[in-house]
Amino acid sequence: MGSEVTDETNGWQEAWEAAENGAVAVMDCHEEIPCNPCQEACPNGAIRVEPHVCALPRLDPGACNGCGRCVALCPGMAVFLLDRRERNGFARVTVPYEMGGKPVEGDVVQVVDGEGKALTEGKILKVRAWGGEAPTLLLTVRVPEEVALKVRGVRYRLIELDEGLEVENAPPLLDYPICRCEDVSLQNVRETLRSGVRSLLTLRRATRVGLGYCQGLFCQSSLREELAAAAGREAWKMGSFRVRPPVRPVKLGRLGGENA
Amino acid sequence: MKLRRESHPLVVVGAGPAGLCAALEAAEAGLPPLVLDEGSRGGGQLVKQIHRFFGSREHGAGKRGFQIAEELVSGCLGKGVEIRLGHKVLGFFPDGRLLVDGDEGVFVLQPGATILATGAVEKSFPFPGWTLPGVMGAGAAQTLVNQHRVMPGKRALMVGAGNVGLIVAYQLLQAGVEVAGVIEVNRAVGGYAVHAGRLRREGVPILLRHRLRAAEGKKEVESVLVEDMERGTWKRFSVDTLCLAVGMAPQAELAAMRGCRLVYLSELGGFLPWHDRAMRTDRPGVYVAGDLAGVEEASVAMDEGRLAGLAAALDAGVLDPGEAAERMEEVMDRLELLRGGPFGEPRRKAKERLCSMTGLVTGGAGRKAGIRGRTGRR
Ligand SMILES: Cc1cc2nc3c(=O)[nH]c(=O)nc-3n(C[C@H](O)[C@H](O)[C@H](O)COP(=O)(O)OP(=O)(O)OC[C@H]3O[C@@H](n4cnc5c(N)ncnc54)[C@H](O)[C@@H]3O)c2cc1C
Ligand code: SF4
Ligand code: SF4
Repeated sequence: MGSEVTDETNGWQEAWEAAENGAVAVMDCHEEIPCNPCQEACPNGAIRVEPHVCALPRLDPGACNGCGRCVALCPGMAVFLLDRRERNGFARVTVPYEMGGKPVEGDVVQVVDGEGKALTEGKILKVRAWGGEAPTLLLTVRVPEEVALKVRGVRYRLIELDEGLEVENAPPLLDYPICRCEDVSLQNVRETLRSGVRSLLTLRRATRVGLGYCQGLFCQSSLREELAAAAGREAWKMGSFRVRPPVRPVKLGRLGGENA
Repeated sequence: MKLRRESHPLVVVGAGPAGLCAALEAAEAGLPPLVLDEGSRGGGQLVKQIHRFFGSREHGAGKRGFQIAEELVSGCLGKGVEIRLGHKVLGFFPDGRLLVDGDEGVFVLQPGATILATGAVEKSFPFPGWTLPGVMGAGAAQTLVNQHRVMPGKRALMVGAGNVGLIVAYQLLQAGVEVAGVIEVNRAVGGYAVHAGRLRREGVPILLRHRLRAAEGKKEVESVLVEDMERGTWKRFSVDTLCLAVGMAPQAELAAMRGCRLVYLSELGGFLPWHDRAMRTDRPGVYVAGDLAGVEEASVAMDEGRLAGLAAALDAGVLDPGEAAERMEEVMDRLELLRGGPFGEPRRKAKERLCSMTGLVTGGAGRKAGIRGRTGRR
């Protein structure tokens, strides 16, 4: 969430000013990705993704009436509404909500920033639903103006961040299966390679890798990499197992014409 | 006992967005195909996607994945496309006939032309503890929570901060699973910032330069060891679920069996069938589309499907060449734009290299164009 983003690039300054007269969209979308539902969503043509689908969305705050459709339909959940009508140091922010539970007006929630850190506690003023049969909820909360542009979501409970427990000594790398269907270990494969084996097929004959249920689906690329490391070549050049029917398991009886 | 035989002028394998759009386009041109899919619902990957899709209107963007799937299926049915679900294509005979396993038994299908749209499979890699219950692909976790409504565990760690990892981590949260974090070996998030943003605001840390070292536990995953690559230290996360979102690879077995030439393009997920701009492979009457033709996005899969459907109808003589050219041009232009931007650029270049070769890619010419090839049938 944006310290690196300047007002000029995303129109926040304009939106901030326009919000004095009522709700207006604020867009937090700064990458050229193939996406434009926000433009399609807007009944007033206030958002343009031009000249092509990967362009950044541009909002014309003057044309936006704060209806919230773009907030609901943006797949990135990157559009919010800002409303500074109260002009008393508080602003109303509307965020999209797709988590569980049934938020209702009056619920007290944690209002969080882009990192999930609590900015303030607040009451849900309004709950709306928009976006067809499986709608997105739009939740409006009231927050001090100075944090309004930082609001990215609401949460019913804050999870404790878990950075993991530091481990004192790095444990030694154990041996483990590389082909799980036939239970062939990595060390077994490496020993076989040390004996001079340089092809996938010979490796298979020598160790049974790739002969199990999955037919090499899971192990093939790892085997290629082991071979490539041993041979000092690129992995994709190490060949592939030949593909044979059936590519899906089937009972032999069915192949004989039974239907059971 | 002899196997039953059937024939159809156009067979589509895979009812994902690529296969369904191919079917729609061919049907509109007057060549309604038979679509086969092993799944119980039409829509491929879309069936289990509960998030709203990016893309543009032509791709149903702004709607949720499963809704796009329903629309594509009903669109196809309305155009006279026959979709047979629960039908596994087991393989090809050398002459191009398919062996299919469905509720009517196993049968042999003689196609006029074939469009392969078999999608992609999740990549996996071995590490200490990877065979413990609780280690799964992100796609598997997604199927559990979104389709079967089963929680894979109470607390999960996601490996890989590409779009799939970010989106599935969010969906695990939606299902009520705690997500301890997303770890990523690279210095930057690989997926879209907006997807990373909606995860971060839920308090889920995205740990860059962190490498998965081991899953630990007696009978199932109890914890996961992770290396902090910058500091050279190790951390242990207490989780019961470890999800891997480390990329997808084209599911090219059937194409290989059909004799299509495979080429290797890492930007597109690995080995994939060579094809031209209209999605024709080097085998006459065999077309490919979607993730099979390079792992990209549903929007791209749809447009590639449309091209394959048009090409098949054109080659079958049911579509006027002028009209076909016009439609194809329109779709190709859109594809070009979809692959714009910093994320699409490497894929656009890889596709360009691939398609710049006309006809069969021969070793020398292929090497010159930077294309690494091998034939499927060996
Ligand atoms: C978590 C996640 C989120 C995504 N989000 C987005 C998004 O927001 N926007 C976007 O544009 N893209 C998104 N994508 C990508 C998109 O889902 C895929 O690119 C798209 O589904 C590819 O379509 P497809 O038709 O090529 O393959 P698939 O959808 O994979 O369909 C292939 C079909 O072929 C069938 N099949 C395969 N082999 C056989 C066989 N032997 N016999 C019978 N049937 C067979 C399968 O059952 C399947 O139904 C996302 C992907 C994932 C995993
Ligand atoms: S809030 Fe409504 S009017 Fe404003 S940009 Fe969004 S969709 Fe358009
Ligand atoms: S819909 Fe959302 S993610 Fe897509 S371009 Fe618009 S603001 Fe960005």
